[in-house]
Amino acid sequence: MAVLSFEKKYRVRGGTLVGGDLFDFWVGPFYVGLFGVTTIFFSLLGTALILVAAAGGGTFNPWRINIAPPDIAYGLRLAPMALGGYWQVITICALGAFGSWALRQAEIARKLGMGMHIPVAYSVAVFAFFTLNVIRPVLMGAWGHGFPYGIFSHLDWVSNVGYQYLHFHYNPAHMIAVTLFFTTTFALSLHASLVLAAINPAKGEAVKGAEHENSFYRDFIGYSIGTLGIHRLGLFLALSAGIWSAICIVISGPFWTRGWPEWWGWWLKLPFWSI
Amino acid sequence: MRFNTTNVTLLSLAGAAAVIGFGLLFTFERLPVQTVQGGFRGTSMGRVDNPRTAVVMAAANQAPEAPEAADATGERAREVYENVPVLGHLSVEQFGRIMNVMTQWLYPGEGDAVGCNGCHVAGNFASDDKYQKHVARRMIQMTMALNSEWTPHTAQTGVTCWTCHRGQSVPANVWHEAPRSTGPNFLTGPGEQNRPNLAAGLSDLPLDPFTPYLMGAQEIRMQGANQHPRPESRQSIQQTEWTYSLMMHMSTSLGVNCTFCHNSRAFANWEESPPQRALAWQGIRMVRDINNTYIESLRERFPANRLGPLGDTLKANCTTCHQGVNKPMYGAPMIRDYPELLPAPAAQRAEVAGPRIQ
Amino acid sequence: MAEYQYLFTRIQVRGPLYPGVPLPAEDEPRSKPFGFSHLAGKLGDAQIGPMYLGTYGVLSLMLGFIAFEIIGLNMLASVNWNPVLFVRDLFWLSLDPPLPQHGLRLMMPMHEGGWWLLAGACLTASLLLWCARTYARAKSLGLGTHTTWAFMGAIWLFLVLGFIRPIMMGSWSEAVPFGIFSHLDWTAAFSIRYGNLFYNPFHALSIVFLYGSVLIFAMHGATILAVGRFGGEREVEHTIDRGTAAERAGLFWRWTMGFNATYESIHRWAWWFAILTPVTGGIGILLTGTLVDNWYLWAMDRGFVASYPPYDTVNPYLQGAPR
Repeated sequence: MAVLSFEKKYRVRGGTLVGGDLFDFWVGPFYVGLFGVTTIFFSLLGTALILVAAAGGGTFNPWRINIAPPDIAYGLRLAPMALGGYWQVITICALGAFGSWALRQAEIARKLGMGMHIPVAYSVAVFAFFTLNVIRPVLMGAWGHGFPYGIFSHLDWVSNVGYQYLHFHYNPAHMIAVTLFFTTTFALSLHASLVLAAINPAKGEAVKGAEHENSFYRDFIGYSIGTLGIHRLGLFLALSAGIWSAICIVISGPFWTRGWPEWWGWWLKLPFWSI
Repeated sequence: MRFNTTNVTLLSLAGAAAVIGFGLLFTFERLPVQTVQGGFRGTSMGRVDNPRTAVVMAAANQAPEAPEAADATGERAREVYENVPVLGHLSVEQFGRIMNVMTQWLYPGEGDAVGCNGCHVAGNFASDDKYQKHVARRMIQMTMALNSEWTPHTAQTGVTCWTCHRGQSVPANVWHEAPRSTGPNFLTGPGEQNRPNLAAGLSDLPLDPFTPYLMGAQEIRMQGANQHPRPESRQSIQQTEWTYSLMMHMSTSLGVNCTFCHNSRAFANWEESPPQRALAWQGIRMVRDINNTYIESLRERFPANRLGPLGDTLKANCTTCHQGVNKPMYGAPMIRDYPELLPAPAAQRAEVAGPRIQ
Repeated sequence: MAEYQYLFTRIQVRGPLYPGVPLPAEDEPRSKPFGFSHLAGKLGDAQIGPMYLGTYGVLSLMLGFIAFEIIGLNMLASVNWNPVLFVRDLFWLSLDPPLPQHGLRLMMPMHEGGWWLLAGACLTASLLLWCARTYARAKSLGLGTHTTWAFMGAIWLFLVLGFIRPIMMGSWSEAVPFGIFSHLDWTAAFSIRYGNLFYNPFHALSIVFLYGSVLIFAMHGATILAVGRFGGEREVEHTIDRGTAAERAGLFWRWTMGFNATYESIHRWAWWFAILTPVTGGIGILLTGTLVDNWYLWAMDRGFVASYPPYDTVNPYLQGAPR
């Protein structure tokens, strides 16, 4: 069950970045590799610490668990465990696990003779997390600026960060990021629909090919980006959404302290409006 | 690289983007930034300040040095001077001191229309011919009320004429009602929002939140008090934008953000709100009192050039006193240096003739 | 960089312009193809056109244009027809929904919401016609109608925001204004009014699907590009006759996370994530103000709010404060 019908011929030696043959094997369907081991280590440690910290917080209700960063007063130092220290170590575990995951993806891609696009794309998402809980707190001078680990508590953080800038929707980078999020979802719905429509045509019709896909979109909007192009576009939109999200949060605080609507003042003050 | 249309297009687009991007860098602020925690750790409540701006603000919001305290013994001012209904209970020295310092606060300089001549007819201090004297008299009563009845907001810091006026006879930050037109019947004209709104931090929110909330006593609370709708919870989204506009004004005039007073997950909940919110609640009611009981009651006194285009007086909002700082003049307790601006002690108050001056 | 990464096309091959799969007799003829764009060819296909105009398409574009003009001209009128102010204040300008006192009436002064209603009606008709277009074009080519159903998901959200919820609330004034900043003010005010929308579980679900869609497109796009050297972008062909690109793509994810999709099923994952974003979002909007007036209080009642130490701020209403 764990091995697919065509899989055996692909399970070959090689492709590892570090560690050679030492961990070059599979457990069930999972590839291990050195970075699989480090992933498990960081994940287990991080999860254990989450449970310990949750026990100290008085609730195991998964919606209510809250593991909060230290007070701002601790600056960039290590805080006592129950007063934010757990959060700090869990963050290190998270980054360790995410980094290991990316490197493991790289090893798997190498083994399968694939390009590095997946680990690169995944690293953009990790970079967004890194921006939120490392880069921005460091720039602002305290680990306490990171977001808490908790399902609803992290949303309280998001809400308050938004209102710290009075009306976060006016953040220009946030506008770009939101637009990219919606556009990516839109493009995904179009691409998925098109492929499924070709594979599952009208009753009695044969499966359709690229000529039909292209004809549909040229009829529909005058242009068809093509089978390769749509995947380039989708990857670009998705990664841009992540990058602009990271930008929008790193400028809030380190590079802007007032309400975001006020930023638009530069446009209103341009000299040529009075002409 | 070949020189063809595509590459030229791409290069020029990239160049334009680089230039615009570079220009935009100058629209932001820079590190370092100061933060003050305002809530439980991880909730991200609290202030975010630019230390360079803070230095400039501190320099611009200093209380002037107070003159030496006056001797409170001796003859009362009303025994020596004519027509001193409000401050007659002060000693002659105290009276002279407060009159003197008021010229610095309101009409600095010397000349026909400044100094003592700002309020008084030259050579006849008792005369009530100038409207400014009537206004000033009412303003002194207002200041006394702010320092006694409104201590829930002004506390032991207190206010003086300087708090609002800062050396000008008309304070720099006042408001009046604005003409509102809906344009020719058929099309939308300039309305109540949807223009860059300085009062609401350049957002798109209603342009005048002051008339309904700082003059009128319209309900500011918008959130439902129950999880399910009730007949009494009929506030609309449009009404919420009005409240939001007032809140934007309060934030910008105090130089703080929403989380200074609120935990945004539950704006209406008092146990989740920092104590500053109760202070602000008092402040709103205090401003309504200022605008209605004192300022608007003076409408007939003011000449046309001291009224708004709709004929209403120039009124106070949060910026009038706070001027971008959460405690005016960083909390300098001015009232301690000017006991003349506290209400007369009860025993002496009974001796003041006549009803409250209008 | 020694290896080609499949991000931009280096050599573009030009053949004759492709006129498209023949249409059934009852359809109009297509427009002429416009030509090739070298710039477009760097990322995707280089051919521009031909396009199918058609009744639905032309009507839709006309109605959409009318809506656009109504909105734009009202914005211009609101700055007294001053073109400089129009450009300067463009992001602030808006065409607002009717005042609350008009309820659900269809007749009201134009400047008190009549124009908004007309623009909204034209825009709605335009979108529905465009949706009909997706159906007609798919049917003409013998394709499945998945695009139409996906579009209906988005139209659901659009109708909830501008039509269904205002009707259930008894007032057009609840709907969204037409304007850049104004529609953002509406969004913020909506959340403030109803007790913070983060506590609305359908809002949370919708965000899960939104972020999930972006995650899936990043994963899927990257996967296809990573197996580009094996012809991975030929998704239909690999679905009916699996080649090494599909095998490697599937195995990559199986070895990484223990399970994988197929070339067809990944598009089903994608389709559902993308469609459920507006569908659950619309449900969340619809429940707000109708069944739930304050999502935070609702969440407190259901017991999923994290707790923080309380302040000792006294409620001044209970204090018998001065005025």
